[in-house]
Amino acid sequence: MKTAEDVKVSVFGVRHLSPGGARHLLQELDQIQPTAVLIEGPSDATDLIGDLVHPSTVPPVALLAFTDEMPVRTALWPFAVYSPELQAMRWAAKHQVLCKLIDLPSGAALAMQDLRRQTEIAPSMEETQVDAESSSIYERIAELAGEHDYNTYWERNYEHNQNPGSYRDSILAFSAEMRELGEDRERTQQPQEYAYNHVREAYMQRQIVQTIEAGHDPAKIVVICGAYHAAALERPTQGAMTEDEYIAMPSRSSKLTLMPYSYYRLSSLSGYGAGNHAPHYFQLMWESMHAGKLEELPQVYLSTVARTLRESGTYRSTAEVIEAVRLAEGLASLHGGSAPTLLELRDAAQTLLGRGDLSVVAEALARIDIGTKIGSLAEGVSQTPLQDDLNRQLKRLKLTKYKTSVATDLSLDLRENRRVSSQEAADLDLNRSFLLHRLELLNIPFVRFRAGAADRAVWAEDWILQWTPEAEIVVVESTLLGETIEVACAYRLREKLDRCTSISEASLLIEIAVRCGMTAQMEDGRRVLQNLAADSRDVAQIASAAAKLANLIQYGDIRRIDTKPLIPLLEQLFYRACLYLSEASNCNDEAAYGIVAAMSELNQIAQAHDDTVEVSLWTRELSELSEKDDRNPKLSGFACALLLERGEMDAQQCAAEVSRRLSPGIPADLGAGWFEGLSMRNRYALLSRMSLWVQLSEYIDSLDDEQFKRALVFLRRAFSSFSAHEKTMIAETLGEIWGVDTEQAAEILTGELKEDEDKMLDELNDFDFGDF
Amino acid sequence: MANEQANIENSNVIRLPAELLYRQEIEALKKEDKGVVPPGWQMSPRAVLTYITGGKAGKLDITPKYIGNRRLVEMAIATLVTDRALLLIGEPGTAKSWLSENLAAAVSGNSGLVVQGTAGTSEEQVRYSWNYAMLLANGPTPEALVRSPIMRAMETGQVARFEEISRCASEVQDALISILSEKTVSVPELSNETSANKGFSIIATANTRDRGVNEMSAALKRRFNIIVLPAPSDLDTELSIVKKRVSEIAASYDLQASPPADEALLKVVTIFRELRSGMTLDRKEKLKSPGGVISTAEAISLLTNSMALSASFGSGEMTDADLAAGLQGAIVKDDDKDKLIWKEYLDNVMKKRGSEWRGLYQACKELSE
Repeated sequence: MKTAEDVKVSVFGVRHLSPGGARHLLQELDQIQPTAVLIEGPSDATDLIGDLVHPSTVPPVALLAFTDEMPVRTALWPFAVYSPELQAMRWAAKHQVLCKLIDLPSGAALAMQDLRRQTEIAPSMEETQVDAESSSIYERIAELAGEHDYNTYWERNYEHNQNPGSYRDSILAFSAEMRELGEDRERTQQPQEYAYNHVREAYMQRQIVQTIEAGHDPAKIVVICGAYHAAALERPTQGAMTEDEYIAMPSRSSKLTLMPYSYYRLSSLSGYGAGNHAPHYFQLMWESMHAGKLEELPQVYLSTVARTLRESGTYRSTAEVIEAVRLAEGLASLHGGSAPTLLELRDAAQTLLGRGDLSVVAEALARIDIGTKIGSLAEGVSQTPLQDDLNRQLKRLKLTKYKTSVATDLSLDLRENRRVSSQEAADLDLNRSFLLHRLELLNIPFVRFRAGAADRAVWAEDWILQWTPEAEIVVVESTLLGETIEVACAYRLREKLDRCTSISEASLLIEIAVRCGMTAQMEDGRRVLQNLAADSRDVAQIASAAAKLANLIQYGDIRRIDTKPLIPLLEQLFYRACLYLSEASNCNDEAAYGIVAAMSELNQIAQAHDDTVEVSLWTRELSELSEKDDRNPKLSGFACALLLERGEMDAQQCAAEVSRRLSPGIPADLGAGWFEGLSMRNRYALLSRMSLWVQLSEYIDSLDDEQFKRALVFLRRAFSSFSAHEKTMIAETLGEIWGVDTEQAAEILTGELKEDEDKMLDELNDFDFGDF
Repeated sequence: MANEQANIENSNVIRLPAELLYRQEIEALKKEDKGVVPPGWQMSPRAVLTYITGGKAGKLDITPKYIGNRRLVEMAIATLVTDRALLLIGEPGTAKSWLSENLAAAVSGNSGLVVQGTAGTSEEQVRYSWNYAMLLANGPTPEALVRSPIMRAMETGQVARFEEISRCASEVQDALISILSEKTVSVPELSNETSANKGFSIIATANTRDRGVNEMSAALKRRFNIIVLPAPSDLDTELSIVKKRVSEIAASYDLQASPPADEALLKVVTIFRELRSGMTLDRKEKLKSPGGVISTAEAISLLTNSMALSASFGSGEMTDADLAAGLQGAIVKDDDKDKLIWKEYLDNVMKKRGSEWRGLYQACKELSE
């Protein structure tokens, strides 16, 4: 190195996202008039500075680095309008001086993030201890200063500090002391963190040295970095990274992009971290500072709270705002402060504007502290191919206006719109639906399908659209799956199909493929489903898959998808389900519920697709099941009901079957169970069939007491799904058979239960099912 | 005035006002005070804060008077600095009156200017009334005027207290509106008016359980800074409050019993907290809350009661039986319902707590049968 040992550059330590820091930094820059401004931030993002300071870039925005291969690692650098770094970049752009980011390139930072993560897993116990310890240092500082928390301490002592020289010096001294306190412990307990900081600083020093070598006067170089690193960077020549070390640094291939960010995300410390708790408040503070009226911040803050309250219907007078300002100032003076901090403003708002009740002002406070602001970027500013593709498609489908943070409903009509001239316009909603389904497949939280709409009509879809920075992040991450949305979706579907192990899953994926308008993937899914179905004997699953396919085939043309390739598969599935039905019907009552559903689905398919599936086989299987005595009686009864419904069984056959099933001597669980199955469909047909009830009545008469109790359990269950009206009709029918006055019987049956009747029913509930 | 003086000298009074009870601390704080003293105050706001929340004055330890949320106290003091009236709202037994008494004692050195709000409080008690014998004899004269505590506070620039303001009829409450906004009381009979001197303010207290009885008008509410005092936020805070107050009360009543063991305190506070919040401390079980108030103040009086019991009729050591009697009395107020709730708690929660709770459980069980 050519430079002398004692070269010194001007270092300005900041807290990221600090309006006070930004203000003082600007003054400092004006004073020094540097020729180079070096900023902590990934050095490979230097090219993006131009976009960051672009006039149409509206903060908050963030710089996102991500590895372009699995596993995805991301790192985020958010900027608000009051970020010292962003203000410094703007200053440099305005004065046309060199501006560079000098921290580790993102590839190296992400690679080391991986290394740190790996070594961190083991000593997790210790780590939590360390965390508790270091956070308690901050708490102790706040306590010693008589403040409620560290944020308040910081705000009062640094943000409110308007004295230019003292700000810089005190923050440097403060962070140097803090570092001294924590460094030793970090070295022993978190060696990887310590090493990482060391590498970063060495790299930053190297960058500074390179800038000096490029001919900048060290006195005219301003370095802006986190206060923690300030002391280490003042003398860049001591310990700067050498060429060999630079080459030896681990690195992963990575990409960088700018993305819009939101105040809401900035305020939530979870996820990508690096936030601050009240972004909009700090923006207000920055604006007040900029106007040179910091002392008016309490008035601005509290009157905004009052105005927000009024807008939502809670009236608060100006007099109360005045008193609130006075109270906040009184609170500040109790702490010897020059101006109220956020905490005191909130307390004053609660006391005066909320009249003691936090819940009254909570929403207004959240709005003013956090704010709903979302940043935006100039069009075409450093986007990933997938982002570009999405924007292009949104524009083509006229969806761009939905890209806001307010949740908006969108109803689609998938039918071809014949009133418009161009084909493009006619298919607008259909193409929108394809895109939205694709976004949903990619788990991009921009779209939410609103269930329930499908009941209304098959051609209608309801969506909720809401743009969030999270959505942007997921879009960026999805770049790894493919360069366009269609390619990414194909990849995701392929992935899912490969992992798919059940018939129902496979049929769901076929459905998704159809909804996304991806014919090739539908074909893949068909193959997978066919393979799986060949080995399966699970009638319930096969039937539900077949029902899904049948649905797709029936309504596929709405989406202009050729679903013909699915027809052979439907035939096959239906055939298998029929063949295994009899075998599957040999089951307990619990499993019978699933089979009942499957039988209903199969019956529906047989009706809707009688031209494709083998209906005669279905009828045959039903008759067989209906006649067999060794299957689950409920299923036999249900089969009988289906046959009746299909007109495959006439009244005479039915009467014969009923008398066979309900003849004296048949155990109650078989007889009544069968009746339960029978009564699950076409009830009106049953209700009007007098002979059936006569037979039932005779059967019940034939039972002894113990058997009667058993039968009662089944019959009660069978009738439980009948409506009150239907029950009355049954009661009247039975009354007629028994020769009871119709009205009288109905009255007794529909009236309230008497106490002793209640008790008898309760006893029935205690009935011992153990011997079933 | 002479009467008051006599009372002060007499150490046999049941309960000393705060400014006498903590006279030493107040004197020390005044001596060590380095802050700016607002006009009409006897010490700086910071010193008041130290007096309420505890700390040091020179070498003297200042005992904390209000344990819990320090920010609430700051808000209360800042309110008085800005000569606004202060309204403390809270459940019964959340130290509203205690805080208001100590604030008045620290700010003005006099916590005795009190209007006790009841359904029978009349407007005269808020403003002024007449000595009718003198009024009839001499007509309206300044001598015949009987000033209310609030009027006296205005004249001397001190803090007046209005206890249980929401128990008064609305007309009486509204008498405060003009006092608070104009800071004067006019006496048309004498055709003059009394204006408040600097330092005058009002601390009112109101009970959330009384909500709806005499709801304060919006006009009056607007003239107060309203601070809601919460129940102690955690077990440790409540324990320390109870412990401190029990030993103070025991000392002033000269109870011949040893103060309750920490274990007994812990049990009582645990039971109270659980019944108040409607769930066990570990948040695993839901409980029913009794209808009555189960505040920290109740816990304090329960423990002093039990101490008195053991001193008068027992060994002087508080036993489980002494505690059980107190607990039953404090919790079972609305007879039938509360009794069931208490029994349920005994069997579902306390019984399963293990051997340390066994004795208390047995004693409570015996009583509740």
